[in-house]
Amino acid sequence: MAFEVPRSPVAQLTQRQRLSLSLSYLVIAVGLLAGINQRDSALNLASVYANDEAGITAVHPARWLLEETGDFVFRVRDMSYRGFNTQIEVSTVAVGADNSARNVFDQLSLARAQSLIDYHVLGYDEYVLPDESSASSMAYSFVARDASPFLQGISSVVSGLDILIVRRGQAVIVSFRSDSRIYEREVSTLRWFIENLEF
Amino acid sequence: MRSTRAVTISPEPDEFAVLPVWQRIALQLGILSVITLAIVLASELLGLQFGGTVRRVLSLALVPLPLLLWLLLSALPEDRFARPRRRLVGVAILSGLCASAFGLPLVDDFFQIGQWLPLESVIQRIVGYTVTVGVVDVGIKFLVLRFMVLPQDLRARSDVVAYAMAAAVGYSFYINLVSIWRLDPVWELAAIVVLSNIVIQFASSMAMTLGIVASYFANAFPSVLPLSLVVAALSTGLIAPQVPGLTSGPLGTAGNITRPLYGIVFLLAVLLLSLAGTYFLYRNAERRQREITLGRGDGNGL
Repeated sequence: MAFEVPRSPVAQLTQRQRLSLSLSYLVIAVGLLAGINQRDSALNLASVYANDEAGITAVHPARWLLEETGDFVFRVRDMSYRGFNTQIEVSTVAVGADNSARNVFDQLSLARAQSLIDYHVLGYDEYVLPDESSASSMAYSFVARDASPFLQGISSVVSGLDILIVRRGQAVIVSFRSDSRIYEREVSTLRWFIENLEF
Repeated sequence: MRSTRAVTISPEPDEFAVLPVWQRIALQLGILSVITLAIVLASELLGLQFGGTVRRVLSLALVPLPLLLWLLLSALPEDRFARPRRRLVGVAILSGLCASAFGLPLVDDFFQIGQWLPLESVIQRIVGYTVTVGVVDVGIKFLVLRFMVLPQDLRARSDVVAYAMAAAVGYSFYINLVSIWRLDPVWELAAIVVLSNIVIQFASSMAMTLGIVASYFANAFPSVLPLSLVVAALSTGLIAPQVPGLTSGPLGTAGNITRPLYGIVFLLAVLLLSLAGTYFLYRNAERRQREITLGRGDGNGL
């Protein structure tokens, strides 16, 4: 049985009600701040990768998948993205005194042209490292299909950037690949990765 | 010899001046649950499946169902009563617009929950959903109620329930529309998505209702209202991550097998618990208030 009254009994707010409203706004604001904190700590959480054999220490996003099996030292991939997973791959090659950066890039391009669809080199440039030393870079693109033939997805255009750092007769190649639609947003992760890379 | 006479206790005139809310809410949620259950059973037991455009049309047709039930059973009959709640439709529309303008952009683009929440542990997911989706949803609905109806349009406790339900229906309508449009799920999963969104919004709205009622009608301690908002956000955090986990089966060699019956059983249990729990607490608070008032000898019952 309803228990109703004919007019608003709360037209005038009491001191308690005013205080409860203020506290409610505060709770909502604190809740949003907690959400921002939770998001930032999850998205920016980093893990350290160290490989004594290759002499490489790197910091990568903790939520990215780390792989060490393959023709690279290690690779990390952002598995949360539904299309082509953004990835950073680190590999090493020995370079001779007469080996130029262009030779290394050409070898990479020859190998990739065999395995990647519509592989194109977009250009070569100089990349300034955080310690002001210079490295070489090569930008390229290719088309990636879904790994599973049962998924009827549309192919993605992938943009890539190789950064070649030569030190003490060893070249470290940092390969960054991302869906071209989110490349500009994701490339900040590469800069952060390079800043924390030690070898 | 003492003479006796029969005394007829007539109901208070005000009982019929406003539309009773609880029966109407229970009826519309009951109808929605039965329809969802029927769709799931038809798909599971009879193998009823649709493809292509027919599936999309049928899935999208489920989106306005909660809104239509609410309009037919709650909003439109208000005009037949002496003291209608005139801002019900306004609250529903504004809640839907706020979900579109603030709610979904905050959750998807600002908090980017798809990027990190599904990868977290169970506890982290509950906390994460509470402080992101829960706080955003509850905050928006509370602010809509605060600036549309609180306190000037509150004449009785049932008004808070009716307006909170309007906010839940309006808010979930937009979330349902976007979810079904983007995901394009099979018909049975579309029915579960619609039911889950309305259950999530209903549960949080009802938790919020208890706080508003206690604060505005019983002049409760100032921490009661904000605490109810925390409970409301927590209810979203508890329910929202469970539904996809229960509905999607384990990943096997044959692919991912959906288990819609698990999802719907969970949703019906949550719905029953939240409806019965809120009703019990609401009636209990009302009874205690009446006893206090009668003890004071105040005739109007408050």
